[in-house]
Parts: sequence; structure tokens; C-alpha cells
Amino acid sequence: MKNYQLPVLCMLSILATAAITPNARAQHTPIPAQPGIAPQIELDGVGIGTIELRTPRNTLTDGTKLSTGRINFSDSALLLGVSERLYRQGGIGSFVLGATTTDSSLNGTGTGLLLHQLYLNYSIPSLEATLGRTDTATRLIDFPTLRGDDLVEFTAPLDPFSSGGDIQEHRYSNQAAVTFNSKLRYFVNLHAQHLLNSVDAGSDQTGLNSYGISFRYMSPPALDDITRIPEWGVGYERQEIPASHGGANNVLYAGMVYNINPDPVDRVDLRLQDVYSTGNNLATFTSITDTYRAAANSIALSLRWLHSPFGTPGFQVALTGGYRSYQSVPRSDTFALALTGIKNLGQGFDLVAQYTFQYRAAAYAAPFGGSTDNSFQLGFLYNFTNTFNHHLGARRSLLNLQHQYIPD
Amino acid sequence: MNLYSNTIMNTAKFMNRRRFLGQAAAAAGTAALCTQQANANPSSDSNAENSSWPVRFQPDATRPRWYPRDMPKAGEVVHEYKIEIDLIRHEILPMVETYAYAYNKMVPGPVFRVKEGDWIKVDFHNNTHDFHTIHWHGIEVPCEMDGVPLGTQYPVGYQQTFQYLFRAQPAGTHYYHCHNMTPLHVQAGMYGAFIVESDNDPVKAMFPYEREYTLALSEIDTNYVREQLNAMQQMGEVMDYMNGSPKLMEKMNGKMMGWFASREDFVQAVKNGYIPPYAQSMSGYVRPIQPNFFMINGKSYPMTDHLHIRSGENIRVRLIGAGMMPHFMHLHGHDFWHVCQDGAVLASPIRHNTIPVYPGCTTDIVIQGTNPGCWHFHDHSDISNMNNGVSPGGMMTMLMYDDAEQAGFHFKEIIAVNT
Ligand SMILES: [Cu+2]
Repeated sequence: MKNYQLPVLCMLSILATAAITPNARAQHTPIPAQPGIAPQIELDGVGIGTIELRTPRNTLTDGTKLSTGRINFSDSALLLGVSERLYRQGGIGSFVLGATTTDSSLNGTGTGLLLHQLYLNYSIPSLEATLGRTDTATRLIDFPTLRGDDLVEFTAPLDPFSSGGDIQEHRYSNQAAVTFNSKLRYFVNLHAQHLLNSVDAGSDQTGLNSYGISFRYMSPPALDDITRIPEWGVGYERQEIPASHGGANNVLYAGMVYNINPDPVDRVDLRLQDVYSTGNNLATFTSITDTYRAAANSIALSLRWLHSPFGTPGFQVALTGGYRSYQSVPRSDTFALALTGIKNLGQGFDLVAQYTFQYRAAAYAAPFGGSTDNSFQLGFLYNFTNTFNHHLGARRSLLNLQHQYIPD
Repeated sequence: MNLYSNTIMNTAKFMNRRRFLGQAAAAAGTAALCTQQANANPSSDSNAENSSWPVRFQPDATRPRWYPRDMPKAGEVVHEYKIEIDLIRHEILPMVETYAYAYNKMVPGPVFRVKEGDWIKVDFHNNTHDFHTIHWHGIEVPCEMDGVPLGTQYPVGYQQTFQYLFRAQPAGTHYYHCHNMTPLHVQAGMYGAFIVESDNDPVKAMFPYEREYTLALSEIDTNYVREQLNAMQQMGEVMDYMNGSPKLMEKMNGKMMGWFASREDFVQAVKNGYIPPYAQSMSGYVRPIQPNFFMINGKSYPMTDHLHIRSGENIRVRLIGAGMMPHFMHLHGHDFWHVCQDGAVLASPIRHNTIPVYPGCTTDIVIQGTNPGCWHFHDHSDISNMNNGVSPGGMMTMLMYDDAEQAGFHFKEIIAVNT
């Protein structure tokens, strides 16, 4: 483990030769690179902090009583990305590393950080290859709730290997993926994933456990506001749940964004997504994990109004609803609503508020500790991005989309 | 193909012939691309009194010879052109491509070369989702033809055509460029030479020459251009989408151009949520322009075209400061004569080996074939002799003697040894 000896070696080598030896590198690289063009470095982040009031006071199956008021800073994240144009072979190579705060970070002394992005990406005009941890390959439509994991059981294909302790596990996975495109507008994604396994914690459960394919269309992002259908997609996923746990699960999902009022000032859009799983034969829930495995259908729908005076976003109001039902488990359906308001205070910094309500029928309520939840949150959200050594254009820029791709 | 390094092309038609055969055929009615009516060429020109050196000082020489607000009369020569503006990909060097706004799909735009006193009629058509004009830099045009957006004309929008009509005066080396968002549009390629020839050119009389070269000097920050062009494309397409919706136009008013009828309107717009451009970046890209490629006629060394000369020959080189930085062109192994500045003949030629070419200025020099070889000709502000910060490159070319071998200079061997 040379990197642990780094400081000492580094000092010694400087003293001995007054030059940085290869030992001073963070890690040996198989092909040492000469100093070249400095990579483009991107620093992104989002910080979200809300004061949250919840009622009634629910109790989990293990007896834990949930608090009625708390400071919620989950889903905040910091990301570092590095990319470089590859003059030898063509294309662009990049590496991203980032962590996000999880719900578990709110408890106790709060050390819950999830390494949610750690991947390498190689892209050429016709395809992108990704290896590492990143957003689950099945993520399709983003809904306008405050946090990405709000209403997650309605908005995402779920991770049947999650214990339920950390809902972020539904949103990130280890994966190997290739995405082919046509005109940078139509995308076919083929992937193999390891969905994060917290059910079998302690055992060596890190293998590939999910495979799938998806197709999606995305319009030029710069024209999102004025395109009637900026985005739609469909996908199929096969989750390899061991027979001892009920057997494999097939998931079909589809979704779209539809601009009811395409308008750069007053955009009104509808988002719709359905996730259907054949599930396994579970007919009762003995744990939260069972609710992720049983055959179910989830539908999510949102209506959003984005007001952008003179074309610059000013505020947004959105109503998101979800309904989930189980084919084989009686009295198990659930629905939720979220009313979300965001007011921009200046570039990237927003005042935010959200009210959510969830109802759970008896069988579904049991593992979650209550049949109804009300929560009200008020807080700030700050997201930023900054690029250093900027020399690579956005892959899906308007110019690249309309006039053929120029890698730099 | 590079029209700029070609020998004299004394034709008003070449642009149309070389670039526009397709469009000309489509626009059948305008087939008379060059309306050569009876040539009533003036018997004298603005250099008439100056046909030899030293030039006599004339305090009223800056007065246009023809009143700029006249209209063409029967019998006068009217050259008709069609200039289109398109978004193209332009290669500065192998592996270095940028998006460009290009006059007739060329960077720089085509060379105009006409006789002093002739009329110029240009149908300027815009195929991009942005606004443009043509400013005729150094030409004594009537004010409405000066090409300043919202100053002398409405900018020309997507699929709009504006017709420029003016008389070519005074004689000399001039140029043209877009005057809309000039820092971006000129970097993005919107500039070209405009040469007005004189029948009594003292330069030609004193230094008889056959070959001449026009070198437009400019620079580009490829990162700035990429990010800003994307932002402008987005804004342009949104605006095109809004065309025909007075309600939307009103909602977006002010965002579009940053122009307001009064200070009060501006303050009111800010109260209504308008964020002035200085308080945001439309492209997420806020930093001073840092040019990273320096070009002669849109190319950086080693892709620049050579100048050619023979022993005993004179060549004329028209240097145009088309960009935003001064450049100090130095020729190895020779002194040369500075003969014209901004088109006008100097009182007396001045001897240099390095000559400044300032933004917006044109500088004509005459090089005499006195020292056979292959010589560097480059900006001596060495920051411009780099490509993306790496030397050699940039604003550099070579003066090549066609008869270097005969003179005993075997440059191929020397290059081989040196490298
Ligand atoms: Cu322009």
C-alpha cells in the first residue's frame, strides 16, 4: 500500500534528490503520463437544509418512535468531476467522485454519508461507457419534489435488496453501462448493476444482481421550456432475487414529460411515470424489504408551474402525487401527495417549502409504523456548479445537437 | 481554398461564381449578379493628386469625393452581391474546430474588390438564430448603411434580408465585420476584406507589383465563443418560437436585447424581475476573454498560407487588424515599406522591419525581393505565436522565395537538420 507511505517517501525523495520521484505520486499508474493539458475540473454541489414538522408521531416495528420535529439536511451532496479530451484515441475520459448525506445522517451523531457517485466515463460521439457507482440505470423521470428521494416508492423502480434503512439505496447502484445514441437525442442503454444490498449485510453480496435495457428520447436541454415533449422513455429490468427470497422480479417502466404550456416565461408541465413489477409470490409483508419485492404497480404524476420572469427562473409550484398497489397482498395500497414551492432568491439559492401527506393501508402501514404521515418543511436550497480549466463543451449543447458534435 | 492569399481577383463576380452558383440559379430573377451598366468611371480618383511620392498635403482630402447620400444614376456601375450568414464548423488547425458565424460559409468572409466610385448593392441574408449586420469599416457610406444594430438599422434576424447600397469610397484597403455583439461575432468569424482600387495608385506606380496578399489578423478565445454561441443559439431559438405571440414578446421584453426606451422602463423591468446581464451570466461563463488561438485569415501556424516572392519582385501585403488585439508583424531578413494606413496613402513610405497592426486598422506594406530564402513573418508579441499556449504556432507565416533553390538556399535540408 504505497499510498499510505506517501508522505514519508515524498519527504525522503525530496531531501535525497530534490526532485519529486514517482513514489510521490498518489498511486502508481500503469502508463505514467507526461505532464499534459490540465484536465477540466468541475465542482458541483447541492446543500439543502429544512426544518421539518411531522405528525402523527409514528412508531417503527422495532419500537423506535419517530421524532415530530427535526432538522433535515439529507440529500445534500458534493461532487468533483475531472475530464480530459483524449488526443490519442479521440473522445473524452472523465472521473467523478461524490458523496451525499442520507436520512440516517439525521439520527444520533449523524455520520451517514453515501458515496453516491464514483465512476469512470468514456464518451465518443456515438456512445458512452460508464463503470462505477452512479444513478441507478433505471432512473427515468425526475419529479419536482424537494429532494430526489421524496416519494421514492412511487417514482422509481425499487431496490429489492435494500433493508429500508436508507432510501437513497433506491437511487444509486454499482453499474457497468453502455449508452448508444442517435443524434444525441435517442438513447439505448444496456447495463448490468449491483443494486446496493443492505439486507444481506455482512455477507459477500456484491455481485451483479440486476440487468436491463432502456430507451429514451431527450430533446435539446436548452429548449426544454418550449418543446412539447422534452423527454420520454421506456425500460425493462430483471432483478435476480434468489429463489430463497421469492425469486426473480421483472420490472417494466415508462414515463414522459409533457409541456401543457410550453413557454419560456410561464411553463406548465406534466410528468407521468408508471413502474410495473411482476414481483415474486410474496403475499404478506414481514419487513420493509418485502414491500420492495412483491409484485406491484406504482404510478406517479406531477403538475408543475415554473415562472421565469424575462426567461430567468423565479419561482416554481408543483403538486406531485403517487399511488402504489400490490397485486398479491391484500389491503396494501398507499398513496402520497407533495405540494412543493420554491422561490429563487438569487442564482442557485432558493427558499423552499413542502407539504407531504402519505396514506398507507393496514398491511403496508405495519412495517412503516403508521398509516398516515403529514410533514411540513421549510428551508433553503443552494446548488452550484463551477468549472475550472474549462475547455470541453457540454456534450448535449444546442450547437452539438444541431451542427454535429465537436468534442472540444 | 483561401481567397486571401490569391493574386489579384479584380472581379465583382467571384463571390457569386465561387460560392453562389446554386443560390443564384435558385434566385433566377437576380441572375444579373453584376449589373455592368455603361461605365461612367470617374476620370480621377481620391489619389489623383497623389499619384507619386511625396504626396502633397491636402486638408480637405478627408471629404468624400462623392456625396454619400446620393443614389445611383443611370450609367453608373452597380455591383450586386448576395451575402448569407450561416453557422458552420471552422477548422483553425487539425483537431481544433470551432463553430463560426460565416459570411458565405467562409472565415474570413469573401474579399470585395471594386473600383473606387462603383456602387455596391448587397443583399445580406441571415440563416442563423441570432442577429447580425455588416459594418463597412472605413467606407464613407450613408449613415443608414453603416451596419450598427439599433444605431443605424434594425439588426437582421433569422431568415431576414437587409439590402446595403453605397458607393465604394475612398480608395484603399478596408474591411467589413458584424457590429452586433461584436466581441463574440467577430471572434466567431464575421470579418472580411473590402478593397477599393484606385486607377492612380502611387503604390503601384512606385513599386510595380503583380502579386499581392491580404492578411486578416485576428484571435479567438475558443472557450468563450463556444459557451456564448450556445447561449445565443438558445436565446435565438426561444425568440423564434415566440415570433407571432405578442403576449410572449411582451413578457420577454428586455431580456432579449437589454435595450430600454428609458431609464424608468429599465428600473421598472428590474422591479418586475428582470435580471440585468451584468448580474448573471447567460452561459455560466464569466471571465475576461482570453484568446488561445491567433490567426492569419482564420488559420494558425502551421496551417497559415505562405507569401510567395521572387528575387527582384515587389509584393504588396494588406494587413487588416480584424480582431481585438494589436499585432506587431515582423519580417525576418528584410526591411519593407509601410505605404498606406487605413486605406490612405502615406505622405511618404516609411521603412520598417516590424510594423504594428492595431484593431480596426489596415496597414499596407510593400516587400521587395532582395534576400532569397524562406523567412518568418510573424507577430512579435510572442504570446500570439502560440496555439493554445504552446509555441510555435499562432500568427505566423513564411515568406517563400520561389527562386530560393536557384539562389543556393536549400531550405529542405536545413529544416531537416534543424528538426
Ligand atoms: Cu453578427
